[in-house]
Amino acid sequence: MAEARALSRPRFVWQKIEDFFAVHIVSTTGGLLFLIVAIFLLWPIIAVLTRSVFGSEGLTLEYYKTFISKSYYHRSFYNSLLLGVLTTSVCLSVGFCIAYLTTCGPVYLRRPLRLVTFLLLISPPYIFALSLIILLGHRGIITQALHLNWAIYGFTGVVIAQSLAFLPLAYMMIENTLSSLNPNLEDSAANLGATEGKILRSITLPLLRPGFLKAALIVYVLAVAEFGNAALLSGRTSFLAPDTYLTIVGEANYNMGSVLSFFLLLPCIIVFVIQNYLIRGKSYTTIGGKPVAAEPRHISSVILIPMLAVSFIACGLILLTFLVVGLGAFTKIVGVDNTFTLKSILDVGSTAVLINSLKVSFLAGLLGGILGVLLAYVIIRGRFRGRTTLEGMTVSGITLPGTVLGIGYILAFNKPPLLLTGTIVILSICSVFRHLVVGMEAGITKLKQLSIEVEEASLNLGASTVTTFRRIVLPITFPAFMYGFMYTFMRTMVGLSAMIFLISPGYSLVSVYIFNEATLGRIGLSCAATLKLITVVSACLAILQFSSRRTGLSVTRKA
Amino acid sequence: MKSKWLISVGLVVCLLLAFALPMCAPAPPVEEEKPPVEEEELAKSIRAYMSGTPEHDADQANFIKQKLGVEVKYLYLSCGVIGARLDAEAPRFSADMCISVCGPQAVTAKKEGWSIAYDSPAWRGLGSEWKDPDDYWFNTACVVFVLVGNEDRLAEQGYAMPDSWEDLLDPKWKGQIVMPSPATSGTAFRMLFTFLQLYGTLVGKGEEGGWEYMAALDKNIDHYTSGGNAPTDLVARGEFTLGITNQAQVQPRIDEGYPLLWTIPEEGSGFGLGPNFILKGTEELYTCQKIIDLLGTEEFSALRAATGYVVKDDVPIALFGTKPKLVPNLDLNWAFENQDRLMDEWKTRFVTE
Repeated sequence: MAEARALSRPRFVWQKIEDFFAVHIVSTTGGLLFLIVAIFLLWPIIAVLTRSVFGSEGLTLEYYKTFISKSYYHRSFYNSLLLGVLTTSVCLSVGFCIAYLTTCGPVYLRRPLRLVTFLLLISPPYIFALSLIILLGHRGIITQALHLNWAIYGFTGVVIAQSLAFLPLAYMMIENTLSSLNPNLEDSAANLGATEGKILRSITLPLLRPGFLKAALIVYVLAVAEFGNAALLSGRTSFLAPDTYLTIVGEANYNMGSVLSFFLLLPCIIVFVIQNYLIRGKSYTTIGGKPVAAEPRHISSVILIPMLAVSFIACGLILLTFLVVGLGAFTKIVGVDNTFTLKSILDVGSTAVLINSLKVSFLAGLLGGILGVLLAYVIIRGRFRGRTTLEGMTVSGITLPGTVLGIGYILAFNKPPLLLTGTIVILSICSVFRHLVVGMEAGITKLKQLSIEVEEASLNLGASTVTTFRRIVLPITFPAFMYGFMYTFMRTMVGLSAMIFLISPGYSLVSVYIFNEATLGRIGLSCAATLKLITVVSACLAILQFSSRRTGLSVTRKA
Repeated sequence: MKSKWLISVGLVVCLLLAFALPMCAPAPPVEEEKPPVEEEELAKSIRAYMSGTPEHDADQANFIKQKLGVEVKYLYLSCGVIGARLDAEAPRFSADMCISVCGPQAVTAKKEGWSIAYDSPAWRGLGSEWKDPDDYWFNTACVVFVLVGNEDRLAEQGYAMPDSWEDLLDPKWKGQIVMPSPATSGTAFRMLFTFLQLYGTLVGKGEEGGWEYMAALDKNIDHYTSGGNAPTDLVARGEFTLGITNQAQVQPRIDEGYPLLWTIPEEGSGFGLGPNFILKGTEELYTCQKIIDLLGTEEFSALRAATGYVVKDDVPIALFGTKPKLVPNLDLNWAFENQDRLMDEWKTRFVTE
């Protein structure tokens, strides 16, 4: 053991310090990480909640009273709830169909379906608002072709756009659970004569419940809190997320903005509690949890055909969106004046902000990857109390509405000693802590495969803690680092809701640029910038994937 | 084992205190204004918040770069956003000055002590619509709003361009008009208070007369955009037939070949200020002052007038040619003082979906 080694050495001061760290390094790192996570995730939320009850005359519930008494707030609250529920149901059912097909369905369909959903992950979520405007706006391609006196603006449009935008997340989470189910259970049921409908109902779906709940929670939060699509497509319908944004940026009313933030947070808190309560005490791991489901199973056409239909419609819409955005980037005014032009794509404004975004995202990716792995290490290996709290805090980052986090960051980091507003670091940091859970969970999965005895053996053989970490822990967690890096990088590139509050003079980001141009109705410039963004992100990911494969440190999809 | 746990807790607590204690302390007072800088050296660059439009901001920044060699690193945001930023950032601003923002921000900044007064030789002796009497802000350009129409859509339906604000109440325009939302756009707030005064207080009907006009207009409005220039593009592209919009982008869109018509209805247009001011705490006070001087030149006025703003100097104004007709006797102070109430009233009446 490490302690034994420490006692047997001569006690020079330097040696003492080194020994102290050798023994306590995990706990102290854990404490430090706890502090960092608390500062960057809890503190901003506390700052928002404080601002909602503190007026110029001290503690007051005045702002909550205003919220309750004004009809225009009720409407947006109600609309947002409905939007969340509808989007979540659509995403879960379609996500399940695609996930079922990619895990158990015909092999030739798996890769294309995965590719389509992955395409969504690297594109900004508000891309659907752009394509819906081009297709079904007042001068949309379809609207004009069919001489419709109707346009997509309003509740329906927002639901469609949000559902498509968050489909890949729902898919990924369901697919994750689905692929880790042991197929033997289903196979035995089939051998015993159960029909496929019965297997799906009584085995597959119940086992997927934790995955479903987790997906539902995250999709719900994102659908309610991400305001890009809602702001561009809502027309006269009001929603909570754009209202919160406009209350802060349009009316400069931080108190009311904080109250609205609280109501954005509220459903998340409730859903989070329900989810923990519902799942706790029930074990859903099937024996030998390693993914084995590779063989395509026979699916009867009664089930296969509806699933194929749903998946094809969804994927068709997604591909159509990309096509339309591509067209939009190269035409003068899509639908009105379809002359080919390179003006939008050559516009230097979007290139400058794209470079800014790349810098910010690269920094965020690095920080996110490193912190994720460190967190995973101290949670798995640490012996200090508060580990579960630390893990819970990190997990909650992804469920925080971006709008609220953005406001929280302005309020919390505008005063010394943490004077961060107006720097580019704040953009990276905000994104890192929101997506930290992904790198951490990947790290935890990796570390669980590494028995602690390997590390102890290394220590007993005389290697220092640092050497052990470098030679044993690092290589095994490197794929987790890369996974955390990639995910954070991608999400930072396309993130809008939190970032829009934090950009500073002379330093805008490409996602904000796309949004601003779209609100001004300059669809061509938005489409061109979106196209550049998607190309650059895919290129970066391809390079990373390639180089990590070359170095023998391949990054599997879920670490 | 126990000692290990104690030591780590101790370390964490120490660190927590080190961070948290200063955070709980009240914000340190802002440093006193620097004495006038003796050595006359301009900074390489300054940071500014700018409203208006991205294109106009770039033009103004280029002008300053050409004349003074100072690079203006600016962030384009709408006026409301700039107001929110200043409020959140006070007393430490991420910018050195505000260039071409809106009236309410300049008035608030003066009231809250966020701006620095400067007795600029270029601005001496101008009236109160161009310069704060106490030198806290300088108005380079008055913005007016106009009525725009899409030529093709009007021709398709056989309608003529309306020439009075009252014509917009005709039921034939139902769902065909867009205007910005007064809750989020400075331009739209100008429209709101102009109509409230034009059809209410100025004709002896009280504020309610104005609200009646707004309610009748609302029946024909498809939706309210968040930005003040958005209707220009929506109408230019033919998504809507008519729009009430900021004048800034009208000429550029016409030049680009869009079938866009514009008019100032016979009652006249309302107007707002385009003030500039220096933010307290700037380390580049001297440079900012030199920029304020530069903004007061006729050359700068010509630049602003070339994009359709009404300026203090007698230079040709794009789009309008000469000074356009403005609604007489508008009370801007009444508007700024009642802004919160009017916005709440507007939202209660018209945010109904």
